[in-house]
Amino acid sequence: MDKSKRPFINYLRITEILYSVLILFSFSLLLISRTGEAHTIWEVVNPLFIPALFAATFLLVTIMFTSEKVAHKLTFVIIHSILIHSFFSIIFPAGDMSGQQMVLGRSRLVFDNAVVHGWAPWPAMSITSRVYEWFRGITFQAALSVVLARMLSIDLLWVHLSLIPVLWGAFVPIAAFLTTKALGGKEETAILSSLLVSAFPYATYFGAISVHNSLGFIFFFYSLYFMLRYLDSDDSKTNSLMVASCFFSFLSHSLTGIMSFSLLLLALAFKSHRREKSTRVTATVFLLISFVFSASILPLSFIYLGLFPIRTGRAVFTLDKLYTLPFEEIVGLFLLGELAYGFDLKTMLLIVVGPLIAILSMIYLLYKSKSSPSKKYRIHILFLSAAFLMILVDYRILKLFMEGLPLNEERLWVFQDFIAAPFVALAIYAIVSSLRTSLKALSLPNLSVSSLKVSSKGKILRVLGLLFTLNVLIPVTMAGWLIASLSVAYPQVAPLQTTWYELDAVRYIEANTHEKYVVIGDVWTIFAGEVIVGVNNPRAYYFLEYNKTGFDLFFNMSQEPSLQWMLRAMTLTDTKIAYFIITEPRLGTEDFNYIVSKALQNGLQIYGPPEGFGNGRLYIFYYEKEDNL
Amino acid sequence: MKRAFGFGTIEKSVVDDKRLLYTIASYSAVLAIFANLSSLQSPFIGPMMSIIYFVINALFLGNALFKKEEAFFRFMFGMLSLILLLGFVGWLTLIIYNLDIARVTLVLLAVATLSSLLNMRMKNRNGQK
Repeated sequence: MDKSKRPFINYLRITEILYSVLILFSFSLLLISRTGEAHTIWEVVNPLFIPALFAATFLLVTIMFTSEKVAHKLTFVIIHSILIHSFFSIIFPAGDMSGQQMVLGRSRLVFDNAVVHGWAPWPAMSITSRVYEWFRGITFQAALSVVLARMLSIDLLWVHLSLIPVLWGAFVPIAAFLTTKALGGKEETAILSSLLVSAFPYATYFGAISVHNSLGFIFFFYSLYFMLRYLDSDDSKTNSLMVASCFFSFLSHSLTGIMSFSLLLLALAFKSHRREKSTRVTATVFLLISFVFSASILPLSFIYLGLFPIRTGRAVFTLDKLYTLPFEEIVGLFLLGELAYGFDLKTMLLIVVGPLIAILSMIYLLYKSKSSPSKKYRIHILFLSAAFLMILVDYRILKLFMEGLPLNEERLWVFQDFIAAPFVALAIYAIVSSLRTSLKALSLPNLSVSSLKVSSKGKILRVLGLLFTLNVLIPVTMAGWLIASLSVAYPQVAPLQTTWYELDAVRYIEANTHEKYVVIGDVWTIFAGEVIVGVNNPRAYYFLEYNKTGFDLFFNMSQEPSLQWMLRAMTLTDTKIAYFIITEPRLGTEDFNYIVSKALQNGLQIYGPPEGFGNGRLYIFYYEKEDNL
Repeated sequence: MKRAFGFGTIEKSVVDDKRLLYTIASYSAVLAIFANLSSLQSPFIGPMMSIIYFVINALFLGNALFKKEEAFFRFMFGMLSLILLLGFVGWLTLIIYNLDIARVTLVLLAVATLSSLLNMRMKNRNGQK
C-alpha cells in the first residue's frame, strides 16, 4: 500500500466504525421507542434518534466522497436505507394502520390454509373476476410472504412487516446507482443517487409500508434500468430482463406494471428512431406520436378496468372539475397537484425541491450533451426526460380530467422521484466537482503554516471557504435534507394506530376459542383482527373492512347491544360463538361507558378479564349459541 | 472486488458445484426446512437453512444471469432473481391450489432445481469444469 495513503485509510476506517456504531445505536433507539399506543412515530420516537441519524447520515455522505470501494459504500447505503424505511415496522406492533394491515389480512388466509382451492378465497363471480384476482398484486405478495415465512419458520406478521422495508432498502439504492451510471454518472455520483432516493418523501413512505404497490415500485425501477441498457444494446438477455422486470412490475401491481409497459413502448420507439435513418421531421413526429400513445395508456387503462367486475368505483373522463372549480384552484392543481390544498411551506418545498432540481439538471444535461463527449448517454437522458414528462402529463390528466379512480393520483410521484434522484445526484456532483476544480486551482503546493504565511489573506479565505463547503456544508446540507424529508414522509397527524390491547384482545379470543367464531367490531378492531387471524377467515370471522353488513351489525350493537345482532352475525357467518368488541379511545368515553352499561343490562357477558383489556379501555362481550337455537 | 467481500472463493466453489455438492446442499436445506415445519418447530433451523438456501441459489442465479456484472452486483441481482422466482412459483401454486407446508416445500425444490440447471447451463456454455 502507498505509504502516503495510510493515514487517510486509517481515518476512513475510523469514520466507518463510527458510522456503524451510530447506525446500531439508531436501530436500538428505534427499538426502545417501540410502543403499543400512539398516533404517529413522532410522538414516541426517542429524542436522541434524530440527532444520531443525522450524525450517521453526515458520516455516510463524507464516506461517499472518499475512494472507498463501491461495494462497501453501497452496503452502508443499504443498511441506512433499511433503517430509514423501518420506522413503522419497528415502532408500531402491527405496522402502519390500514393499507398494509389489509394486505396482511388477506395473506393470513393463505398462511392459515384457509385458501384451499386456488386464489381468490371468496367465490368468483365470473372467469374475468377470477383472472383479475390472480393479477391483483396482492396474490403475488401473499405468495412471496407465505413462502418466506414458512422458510424462516416465523409468524407471517414479522415477514410481512419487514418485507418491503428490507427489499426496498436493499434493492432501490442499487437500482438508483445503476440508473445513474447508465446516465454517464461516475461511481461517486451513482452512490450519491442511491442515498438521495431516500430524500423524496413519497418514495420513502411507500418504502416503509408493506403493500403490493411498493413491491411493484421496486420492479418498476429495475424495468427502467433495463430499458436504459436496452437502448444501446442488442443483447437478447437484456431484452428478456427488461420484459421480465416489466412483467413482475405488473404482477406486483397494475399501476406499476402499466407504467412499466408504457415506458417499454416508449423505449421501443426511441430505439427504432435511433436505428432508422429517417428525416428529422419524420423522426420527431414518430417520437411525438409514440409519446402521446404511451402517455394515454395509463388513463385509458382505468377506463378499461371497468371490464372487470371489481368492487371499486368506475373511472370516467370528465370536465366537471374545469367547470366547477375556481380558476385559481385549477391553476394550483395543474402546477402543484394535491400540494395546492393547504400543505405547509416546508412540506411543499421538500416534495417539490427534488423534482425541480431534476428538471433543471435534465435541461442542462440535454443542452450540454449536444456537443460534449457524454453524447453517447444523450439517448438515455432524452428517454428518462421523456419518461419524466410522461408522468407529469399523466398525473395532470388523472387529477384534472378523471374521476372515480381506484387509487390516489399522488402515487405517480414515486415514479417521478425514481427518475429524479439520478438527475439530482448528477447536479449535486457537478457542483462538488466544480468546487474541487476551484480548490485545485487555488490550492497551495502543500497546506502548511509556512505556505499559508506567504499566501494572500484573500486566497487563504477562499481555500478555507471551499474546504468548509466541501467537507462540512455539503454533507450537513444533504444530511439535513434527508432528515427533514423524513418528517414529511412519515405522517405528523394520524388516527390512533392499532394498540397493544386491541391486539391482546384478538389474540386472547383466538387462543381461547375452539369453535368457529365471528367478531363484531369497528374498522379498527377489524384491522387488529387482520393482523392476527386475517379477514373473512371462515374459522375466525372478521368482516371485510368496509363491508356494509359488518358495519351495520356494529352500528346496531352500539345503539342497542343485544343478543339479537349477535345471533344474526352467527347465522350470517355459520359460526357458533359471537364476540363484540368496543374500545374506549375509538368511541369516546361517554359512548363507551353507555354501551358497556347497556350491554351488561341486556345480559351480555364480559369475555376475558373482568376489568377488560388495556386497563379497562377495551371490553369483549360474547354469546355462545346453544345447539337447540 | 472478489476479496472485498471475502467470499470470492466461496462464490467460485459454489458456482463450480463439483459433483453437485451445492445443489445437494440446497436440497438438504429444503428438506431440513420441511422437517422443521412438520415436526421440529425450532426457531433456529428455519433461519439457518434459509440462509444456506438463499446464498447457494442466489450465487447460482447471479452466475447464470449476470455473469458480466461485478461480484457485489452479481450476488445482489442473484438474490433479487431468487426472490422473484420464489414469488412467481409460489404465486402459480397459490392460484392453482394453495401454499401449505408440502406445497411450499415443492416450490423451494422447484426453484432450487431451476437455479441449479441455469447455473449448469452457464457453466457448460463457458466450458467450466
